[in-house]
Amino acid sequence: MIKEAKNPVLEIHDLTVTYHKKPVLWDIDLTIPAGSLTGIIGPNGAGKSTLIKTIMGLIKPSSGYSKIFDKPLDEVRKRVSYVPQRGSVDWDFPASVFDVVLMGRYSDAGMFKRIRKADRELAMDALQKVGMEKFSKRQISELSGGQQQRVFLARALAQHADLYFMDEPFAGVDAATENAIIDLLHEMTGKGKTVVVVHHDLQSAIKYFEWILLLNTRLVASGPVTEVFTSELLQKTYGGKLTLLTEIGNLLQREGLPARETK
Amino acid sequence: MYEQIIDFLSLSDPNVRTVVLGSILLTSSSAIIGAFTFLRKKALVGDAVAHSVLPGICLAFMIGGAKDPLILIPGAFLAGWLSMILIDKITLHSRIKEDTAIGMVLSVTFGLGILMLTFIQHSGNANQSGLDHFLFGKAAAMLGSDVIIFSAIALLMVLTVSFLFKEFALVCFDREYASSMGLPVKRLDFLMTSLTVLAVVIGIQAVGVVLMAAMLITPAAAARFWTDNLKLMIIMAAVIGAVSGFTGALVSYLYPSMPTGPWIVVVASVFAFISFFFAPKKGILQYMIKQRRIRLMINEENIIKAGYHIGEDRKDFTSSMTATDLIRRRPMPESKLKGHLAKLTRQGYFRKHSQGWELTNAGYKKGSRLVRIHRLWELYLTEYLNIASDHVHEDAETIEHFITPELEKQLEQTLNYPSEDPHQSKIPYE
Repeated sequence: MIKEAKNPVLEIHDLTVTYHKKPVLWDIDLTIPAGSLTGIIGPNGAGKSTLIKTIMGLIKPSSGYSKIFDKPLDEVRKRVSYVPQRGSVDWDFPASVFDVVLMGRYSDAGMFKRIRKADRELAMDALQKVGMEKFSKRQISELSGGQQQRVFLARALAQHADLYFMDEPFAGVDAATENAIIDLLHEMTGKGKTVVVVHHDLQSAIKYFEWILLLNTRLVASGPVTEVFTSELLQKTYGGKLTLLTEIGNLLQREGLPARETK
Repeated sequence: MYEQIIDFLSLSDPNVRTVVLGSILLTSSSAIIGAFTFLRKKALVGDAVAHSVLPGICLAFMIGGAKDPLILIPGAFLAGWLSMILIDKITLHSRIKEDTAIGMVLSVTFGLGILMLTFIQHSGNANQSGLDHFLFGKAAAMLGSDVIIFSAIALLMVLTVSFLFKEFALVCFDREYASSMGLPVKRLDFLMTSLTVLAVVIGIQAVGVVLMAAMLITPAAAARFWTDNLKLMIIMAAVIGAVSGFTGALVSYLYPSMPTGPWIVVVASVFAFISFFFAPKKGILQYMIKQRRIRLMINEENIIKAGYHIGEDRKDFTSSMTATDLIRRRPMPESKLKGHLAKLTRQGYFRKHSQGWELTNAGYKKGSRLVRIHRLWELYLTEYLNIASDHVHEDAETIEHFITPELEKQLEQTLNYPSEDPHQSKIPYE
């Protein structure tokens, strides 16, 4: 069940991604409506993170393309922000909370250029929005998991984008942080921003998101939460991978075959 | 010897000035670049690059026929880069993992370099003398013209780092995020790698290919112990590099036949060891002192608590107690107990009598607080964590020393000021 969004900010066409020759995303076609809080749901290894990394240009797809605000990513970079998984960086890096949030201003400040006073103020505003202003001088290795996640969010907020992709922002955070984050996300979508979140908890997904993508290597469903959360579609997503698809994926990897013919 | 040192330190000899300036520039600039190598966790790659520079130098010499840095530097630079690419390609396209690839490239290229060096040395070429200084470094062998070239390169490197500081830092910390912002991560990577190779190439004059990796990594590793601020860390690394380089130049001046690299690296390592042991917050010594302080605090608090328990048993908190009474409650060697008691008396928790000791008012308050927290914690564990009441004592024995007044208040409120612990002992409030 793949429903077209009326006013899409993101369109993906025929996207296939392989990792070490093994396809991790097959033929994805989807749209996401503007101003929505969208959840990407699926089991472990379903390709959820791969999908948003591909959209952000961090992984090159074997085929297909995505368009953001009806344009290629490179033309709209400043309107898009990405929140990586918390575990993807070394938190022992010599930096303070403020240093990290300030990174959100780097692209706007420009290469070779110094950080301006206005950038510092915007970074501080972002820290305030996540309730971490008291921690601005704290060394990042001294933060709890929830605080680290808030810092990552603040960094993205400091970019002042219109579309946000967040990879597992609720993983390993305390309940208070989870609530604070979800409130913040609702506030953002209330202001017309679009937020796409990788999430793996089904129960909270129903409460949190308006639009849902069910993903398990292939796109099982994309649409409003009420239409997508049916036991049949969930069964399709979580009831194991399609055996034939897995078999063919394994074959490609084993034999070193390309997933797409190269021109 | 003494006079020579004075002579050196006065920097009156232009040759000395050249060598000192050259050495300091080389080692401090490699320490600055090395800080990023360290943060990117590429220390071993740095080592492989340093070793692989040797065949590049030899080949450049064979082709160019002279020991001119303008010939040798490009040769060394190319060789360093090729080894880096080789490591990447081997890791990417084979089943060989990165550490193995690094080991392979390092030993193969260094072996090749030694082979070529031996060949050159036996070729009868008169220009070759001193080429072997690149193995372990020889600061004093630097000529004025070399220093000009090295300084220019070092200056260029430092300028590049200062212009692209925030971009480099971001790529080191979070590559994917940097990439998502549209930063040219691949080009920045290329630049950082080139700077690392360049730092190695110009550094080997003073340090030599064998130990060059230590010059990249050690100053940054030492500086990391002292600060959490990246800029400060890099400045400290540069200073450590400079001091090491200066020592190298001095040694090279005093003992012309001595290679300088080992000296430079030993000095840098001394900084690293000092940092490792004595740095505040992160040093081993600080950690040990803290652990000792905690043990002492626990022992003293336990003695106060023993005094409180005795008072509780006798229903009289002002009665005097002997060392034997206390040891029965809290077994420990008598001499140790008396040592602690002397201190606790001085601090005003105990009062000494002819027959023994008694708790002061302050001692009574402290003892009652410890017992209160102990019993509250036991109750919390049985009620909220469903732990059997005969299993909670050990846990509370430790926790009672660490609960802050805020947590104590929270505990009281959560449990709603209970009167008894799980073992039906009364919980004292004041």
